[in-house]
Amino acid sequence: MLRWIANALTSSVGRKIVLGLTGLLLVGFLFEHLHGNLKLYEGDGEAFVDYVNWLQGYGWLLRVAEFGLLGLFVAHIVIALRLTLENREARRTGYVVRSSTGKKTAASASMFVTGALLIAFLIKHLLDFRFHHEFFDDPSGEVREHLASPGTAAIYILAALVLGLHLSHGFRSAFQSIGASHPKLDPILEKLGPLVAALLALGFASFPVYFLFFGGK
Amino acid sequence: MSAGSGHDTMRITLKIWRQAGPDAKGGMVTYTLDTVSPDMSFLEMLDVLNEELLAKGEEPVAFEHDCREGICGACSLVVDGIPHGPQSETTVCQLHMRHYADGATIHIEPWRANAFPIVRDLIVDRSAFDRIIAAGGFVSVATGAPQDANATPIGGEIAELAMDAAACIGCGACVAACPNASAMLFTAAKVSHLALLPQGKVERERRALAMVGAMDAEGFGNCTNHFECMGACPKGISVENIARMNREYLRATLVSRDLG
Ligand code: FES
Repeated sequence: MLRWIANALTSSVGRKIVLGLTGLLLVGFLFEHLHGNLKLYEGDGEAFVDYVNWLQGYGWLLRVAEFGLLGLFVAHIVIALRLTLENREARRTGYVVRSSTGKKTAASASMFVTGALLIAFLIKHLLDFRFHHEFFDDPSGEVREHLASPGTAAIYILAALVLGLHLSHGFRSAFQSIGASHPKLDPILEKLGPLVAALLALGFASFPVYFLFFGGK
Repeated sequence: MSAGSGHDTMRITLKIWRQAGPDAKGGMVTYTLDTVSPDMSFLEMLDVLNEELLAKGEEPVAFEHDCREGICGACSLVVDGIPHGPQSETTVCQLHMRHYADGATIHIEPWRANAFPIVRDLIVDRSAFDRIIAAGGFVSVATGAPQDANATPIGGEIAELAMDAAACIGCGACVAACPNASAMLFTAAKVSHLALLPQGKVERERRALAMVGAMDAEGFGNCTNHFECMGACPKGISVENIARMNREYLRATLVSRDLG
């Protein structure tokens, strides 16, 4: 009965579509995440505390949303990992001399590496805040304390830049994968991709910079 | 060969992948040609090399070629790391030695992909492409008597798009160029070409599912949108076709009545 779904989800094109869709949904999440974080800049951190409390107020609904988010991450990561392993396997003997026709970019060639770095960061990030009990007692204070430490701030800044590199290929690529390519759309996406990447990278990098260099003031 | 055309001859060093058979160990072998004319085509230069090798009693370099005018897709050499060599939108049979300087060193290798196993030297087995076509790259119609040419109207723009996709000569340069050895551009060109036209639309769902299935079964890699294929394609086929194939596949998955 569900064979057709299984076929689609194991095919090359089907998995590309899922990879692209989950990637775009994760970008959507990142924008809301950035929006929430921006409240750190409002009125001595109270706005951020209000935001955290407002989110927590959703109770079990928030848990459901978190599991949905986890599902997006897991699907995105598992598919990307499988595709990468298959792609390495598809050319067991490589070229002696390798050149590029000039189409691939540093970002497209490093998706696996940037993705792996982002996973590592994600784990650290969750341990720093989401699974750190004190965080919910004093959200603004905990963020300030973590990000004012030079080591942690450096990791957060670096992660934001890696995210930017990942998205500078990933955003445009996701649209291509889900079949959204058109002479009217493509030039827009080519500009929008780097813009989205830069916006999120600079946005997220701004917090450690703010707390490290300006002490959150 | 255009000897005596007034050009000086060039000295060219070739480093060519030699492999006696599918399971033999291969390696790069160096040859030097002293009298290469700039008027020669790349394949004519290899002909000269082979004549010299035969005269010396050595095995000639095996490479594929047929039309030598850029329309059959038989020629398949990776030249200095780029399928069909440095000239864009040009098959290697249409590449000429005038693009090289005297004293140049040129590396020549076969297409590299597990799905294209080496037969000998620079020749690979591309029957995987035939099997993808056999899975659905055709229109099944009971033709009957020929109908009026204008009975099925096709807009000019659609005809052009279909023709652009149909320009694929099935050489496999897309696979050779892809960092993932993916055959998406080839398969997409065929899926697009037929899906765009009224005659092909009839079987579009079955075709998209079957051709993608056949492509996956051959062990090609997956597309990650590097677009190297488009850069290497001697016919300039656009990756827009890959997006169209992805749409066709998604559509077919949702509307096809085939339950798998
Ligand atoms: S030999 Fe026919 S395309 Fe090159």
